[in-house]
Amino acid sequence: MTDHKSQGVFSAKVTSNRRIRACFWTMDLEFTGVGAQAYARFQPGQFVEVDVSNLGLPPEELIAPELRDAVRRNILLRRPFSFADVTVETNRTTAELLYCVLGPASVRLTTLSRGDSLSVLGPLGHGFRVPPGKRLALLVVGGMGAPPIQCLAKLLRTEYAGTHVIAFIGAKTAASLPFAGEFDGMPERIDSFIPAFAKYGIASAVTTDDGSAGRRGFVTERLAQWLDEQRDWLPEQTIIYACGPEPMLAATARLAVERNIDCQVSTERRMACGIGVCQSCAIECRVEGSDETAYRLCCQDGPVFDARTVVFDD
Amino acid sequence: MKSPIINPQSSILSVDFAGLRLANPVFTASGTCGYAEELADFMDVNRLGGFITKSITRRPRQGNPTPRIVETDAGMLNAIGLANVGLDRFVAEKLPVIAQMSVPVFVNVAGERIEDYVAVTERLAGEPAIAGFELNISCPNVAKGGISFGRDPEQVAGITAAVRRAAGRKVLMVKLSPCVTDISVIARAAVQAGADALSLINTFTAMVIDIETRTPALANRTGGLSGPAVKPIAVYLVNKVYNDVAKKAGIPLLGLGGIRTASDAIEFMLAGASAVAIGTASFSRPDSAVQIIDGIADYCARHQVARIADLVGSLR
Ligand SMILES: Cc1cc2nc3c(=O)[nH]c(=O)nc-3n(C[C@H](O)[C@H](O)[C@H](O)COP(=O)(O)OP(=O)(O)OC[C@H]3O[C@@H](n4cnc5c(N)ncnc54)[C@H](O)[C@@H]3O)c2cc1C
Ligand SMILES: Cc1cc2nc3c(=O)[nH]c(=O)nc-3n(C[C@H](O)[C@H](O)[C@H](O)COP(=O)(O)O)c2cc1C
Ligand code: FES
Repeated sequence: MTDHKSQGVFSAKVTSNRRIRACFWTMDLEFTGVGAQAYARFQPGQFVEVDVSNLGLPPEELIAPELRDAVRRNILLRRPFSFADVTVETNRTTAELLYCVLGPASVRLTTLSRGDSLSVLGPLGHGFRVPPGKRLALLVVGGMGAPPIQCLAKLLRTEYAGTHVIAFIGAKTAASLPFAGEFDGMPERIDSFIPAFAKYGIASAVTTDDGSAGRRGFVTERLAQWLDEQRDWLPEQTIIYACGPEPMLAATARLAVERNIDCQVSTERRMACGIGVCQSCAIECRVEGSDETAYRLCCQDGPVFDARTVVFDD
Repeated sequence: MKSPIINPQSSILSVDFAGLRLANPVFTASGTCGYAEELADFMDVNRLGGFITKSITRRPRQGNPTPRIVETDAGMLNAIGLANVGLDRFVAEKLPVIAQMSVPVFVNVAGERIEDYVAVTERLAGEPAIAGFELNISCPNVAKGGISFGRDPEQVAGITAAVRRAAGRKVLMVKLSPCVTDISVIARAAVQAGADALSLINTFTAMVIDIETRTPALANRTGGLSGPAVKPIAVYLVNKVYNDVAKKAGIPLLGLGGIRTASDAIEFMLAGASAVAIGTASFSRPDSAVQIIDGIADYCARHQVARIADLVGSLR
């Protein structure tokens, strides 16, 4: 035990909040004091719960027409978000919240601007772990699963510089890639197309369901194919990290298990508390050394789990 | 000789609750604060008036499939399904932590059959760390037991009497469901069968529908509504049970349902609750209960209330 609080409710200052494009926004937050210390220990894949219950709606014309009805409801519960980037400085820790506007809470986040404060509960849960001896890290992103993987990419680049990293990024269409830039008609090859990863020297392989950017198909098909093409490659020196929709996590887990590759998946559940008291975020997991399964808590035992642990329904 | 230092807040806020001396009238509600250890980083649990555990059943329960919760306009639905570690692990893992707490702890007991309730209560009745039991006969989210016990006065009397015998000298509180025709009939049955206190309310059975998929928002189809939406109904029901049953019988009420602020808590006390419990509000502010305690102290100072107990049932 340290004398510092490892987690808590901290007030973060918004230093910027802007739309990247479409429904995607990015917000920079600054923690000072005890909060700065708590977030200095943030692990990629951990998350926070933000309170937007005191925020109003943006003007109607700024709300996407298909959301105008749904967002009108009041907010009671906090909402879980990961961080896409965390930077530790002398007296402050900054964090980037990359978010998609899709409902009443996320639309309210867009009303924050520089100087506002946001109540942030965290850091919560267990993030990604980097086991020793890994020479190759394969990052698998499905749509809005990007933020924790971006955060991990930075860690891999800064602290595991000897590890070769490739990002496999999938989305429904070019428009639903949650990054700044124009991706329509992007070529199929693996290259530094996605700035969020390219800035760490990481090349990306992009797939879209409709072929509007990168290769047509699912990101997991692309990953499987890539693995099948490799020569002189040692599964035990490889690790796969994935975050995205559950069917994508299930497919990633399956291909990792089949090929005997270590794999960690970042899962999502609806959460009321984020701190392990409400039991709302149950996730079915295998019990080690038996055929049984048991629920564990996404917020506390996860959100990152070993791929062999989680029972995905197919 | 120095005179003893008296904390003025403590003497004003302290209440007598079924023979227990509480430092203040604020509990945390069952199922919303786990087993206390989870809250250590967020709140000093020893500042509470009392703590109530998640429901404990004889055997561990996995609970319902997900989604188990959905937010509504001024509340939330939950269908957790009494997921809990079960009696043995509670005793082995949670009780030692609870024993470190200096505030009275109630164990919330649930089950499918009367024998289950009795077994849990008997096993824990000798534990010095436990002040009492809260009998959950009002859970809307389980196929067997739960609310079905809480709707029929004869069954309420039967289960209360059986647990009363098993509880020895511990305080027995019975938690009432609002989903009944006349809550006073149920309250009276529990009191006559030996309840020392009543808590109300548990959640309201409710449903949210996803109109895109035309399916219920919860895997369990229905769930229990809690949060600010239920508060005015809960205040009414507390006042009704106070007037119809509790006042005459001299039985204290623990009022809960949608309390978020000290003002909410005081409403419940004016309606007849001797103490209150904070549930859903703890999810957005884990230290809600402590903030409410401080808010009640401020109210007492502002209104020159000498003893918080003077407020109880003082609705004009
Ligand atoms: C651990 C964790 C980390 C997350 N990290 C991020 C992040 O970095 N950036 C980001 O944009 N979002 C993230 N999310 C998802 C985010 O919590 C939801 O988008 C947000 O709660 C939506 O709130 P809302 O009120 O705007 O919309 P709601 O009305 O709550 O939801 C709108 C729609 O989104 C769906 N939805 C809501 N929550 C989830 C969820 N958890 N998983 C899947 N679908 C959901 C709903 O079913 C509904 O269809 C994360 C979720 C978890 C559990
Ligand atoms: C997620 C959740 C879990 C709950 N679990 C229990 C439980 O295990 N046993 C019980 O008696 N009540 C349980 N309750 C009911 C609460 O204790 C309380 O009676 C109800 O939520 C109303 O109070 P509130 O509006 O302040 O939350 C639960 C409520 C919620 C929201
Ligand atoms: S969100 Fe409450 S236990 Fe996980």
